[in-house]
Amino acid sequence: MATARKSRGESRILRYLILGTWALVCLLPILWFLSIGFRPRTEVITPEPIYWPTFSLDAWRLLLSDWPIAKYLLNSVLAVGGSVVISLILGIPAAYALSRYEFRWREDIGFYILSTRMMAPAIVAVPIFFLFRSMGLLDTIWALMLIYAAVNLSLVIWIIRSYMLDIPKELEDAARTDGASDLRILWEIIIPACLPGIITAAVIAAIFAINEFLFTLLIASTANAYTMSVALANFTGGSDGIIYNAIALVSFIAFVPILILVILIQKHLSRGLTMGAVKG
Amino acid sequence: MASIHLQNIVKRYGGFVGVQNMSLDIADEEFLVLLGPSGCGKTTTMRMIAGLEEPTEGQIVIGGEVVNDIDARDRDVAMVFQGYALYPNMSIYENIRFPLRMRGIPASEHDARIRKAAEMVELGSFLDRKPGALSGGQRQRAALARAVVRQPQVFLMDEPLSNLDAKLRQSMRVQIKHMQRQLKVTTVYVTHDQIEAMTLADRIVIMNKGAIQQVGTPDEIYSDPANTFVAGFIGSPPMNLIQGTARDGRFTAPGISVPCPRFVHGQVTLGVRPEDCHVGGDNLQGQVYGVEPTGDVTYLTVLGGTNKIEVKAARDYRSDIDVAIGIAFDPAHLYFFDESGQRIRGAA
Repeated sequence: MATARKSRGESRILRYLILGTWALVCLLPILWFLSIGFRPRTEVITPEPIYWPTFSLDAWRLLLSDWPIAKYLLNSVLAVGGSVVISLILGIPAAYALSRYEFRWREDIGFYILSTRMMAPAIVAVPIFFLFRSMGLLDTIWALMLIYAAVNLSLVIWIIRSYMLDIPKELEDAARTDGASDLRILWEIIIPACLPGIITAAVIAAIFAINEFLFTLLIASTANAYTMSVALANFTGGSDGIIYNAIALVSFIAFVPILILVILIQKHLSRGLTMGAVKG
Repeated sequence: MASIHLQNIVKRYGGFVGVQNMSLDIADEEFLVLLGPSGCGKTTTMRMIAGLEEPTEGQIVIGGEVVNDIDARDRDVAMVFQGYALYPNMSIYENIRFPLRMRGIPASEHDARIRKAAEMVELGSFLDRKPGALSGGQRQRAALARAVVRQPQVFLMDEPLSNLDAKLRQSMRVQIKHMQRQLKVTTVYVTHDQIEAMTLADRIVIMNKGAIQQVGTPDEIYSDPANTFVAGFIGSPPMNLIQGTARDGRFTAPGISVPCPRFVHGQVTLGVRPEDCHVGGDNLQGQVYGVEPTGDVTYLTVLGGTNKIEVKAARDYRSDIDVAIGIAFDPAHLYFFDESGQRIRGAA
């Protein structure tokens, strides 16, 4: 008995040791760029490694004095939030139609929607630029919302559709005999039942949108529409060279909102990512 | 309250015929059970009455009105599903309330009607819970309450008890029957369980391969089966069906010899229920194959030639296997079927 308990205790220590090491490996890049963000520029690139760098708020001061970093962050949040709302408003009814209604070419339409994801974005970059110019939307948040939503819509539709396919048809039949219309069924039965899927789709779309670079660079030309991802690029050029400690700090600021989002909805997210798989 | 008439209903899925040319009159306040194996078309028939599927041909009339073109939500029909189909995000109270809201019943009436429906199924103290926090039996009672709360013209029940364990099924059966008598609502009930059909129904409709095999009261179906399908489907254990030859007023098969009417001749099937077989006699000469005591009765299987014959024996009957045994068949309860499986009747 005693030895069994002891060996169980040992295996537990071993398990924590392995997991702890792995967690450290995963966290190391974050700790590393955090440490770069808070050291002076002279200590960023050195021939010898520095184990105890000098703590410095140089990068902070640079960001706050020379760059409208709060504005970039706000742009990111608005563009990403707006795009997620747009993709959900369009994506949920589309997913419902693709998962429930019988109509001609249903599978083909579904595949066509997914295929928009298979193309390299650069191919459509020029037409998109002219399109937004003719609409007078260049360098606006609205353009970013639309383009992020367009890029993510196929993903959102497919994720939500797979959840809707898992909802028993009996639920809808019951609601229909209870007297509910199609829209009522969607709103009161289907959406609440696949909420984990909707949240999963929203988070994934938000992460893709926040990291989107090409179209943002194309559309944004001033602080009007610069987002965090494009702002990063601003630290690589110019007379000052590449300002690594500022880049590290901006990366960290861009990373924090996603981290908070994921922690807040972690419960739904893990349920959402596994639910479809278990039911097969 | 309403009667239901199905007139020459056909349901085809591409080349597959789900229901073929079905006509049926269901009386007001009747409890009708559609009984048959899975895939026989019984659920499809019910779904057409509910309006969840459209018949390919034929008319459906509920309460004197042709409802073919009326959407499910506008038919005054309530349905209970095999998987309960409770809305998982709503409390039981909200679940029961849902049909009232959808049908525009004044909010001032809701509470009283919900509580009354919940009382009827003894679920009054669970109204605040979500469906996930209830047992299977409680969920099914909640589904029943949701069906009764709006006082529909017709109840449709699609295998409502098949997900419950045997003991619960028995008590729910009684509850459903009591409720139907109390509310006097025309009810169509689908099941593959012949015990449910026998105990609940005013009339049973036995279906196979999309077609009606026989319609009748439980007694008629049991004591006067129209063909071998009905004979073999009803009864537990089911009727013994033995193929053999009839000639000059005697039916013979390996190990079996019984007198039969003179109009029965040629290749026929003899049907005899286990309870009409008695230990001691010479209609069947065979060996004991197995003995299954159940407490109140003992089931005995006798091997006669290649046929295994089920016999309902006395509760204290015991025997080793392979012992020679003679069985008598009750001559008043023998059924003969022709080669196509149809019953051979005296007048023929």
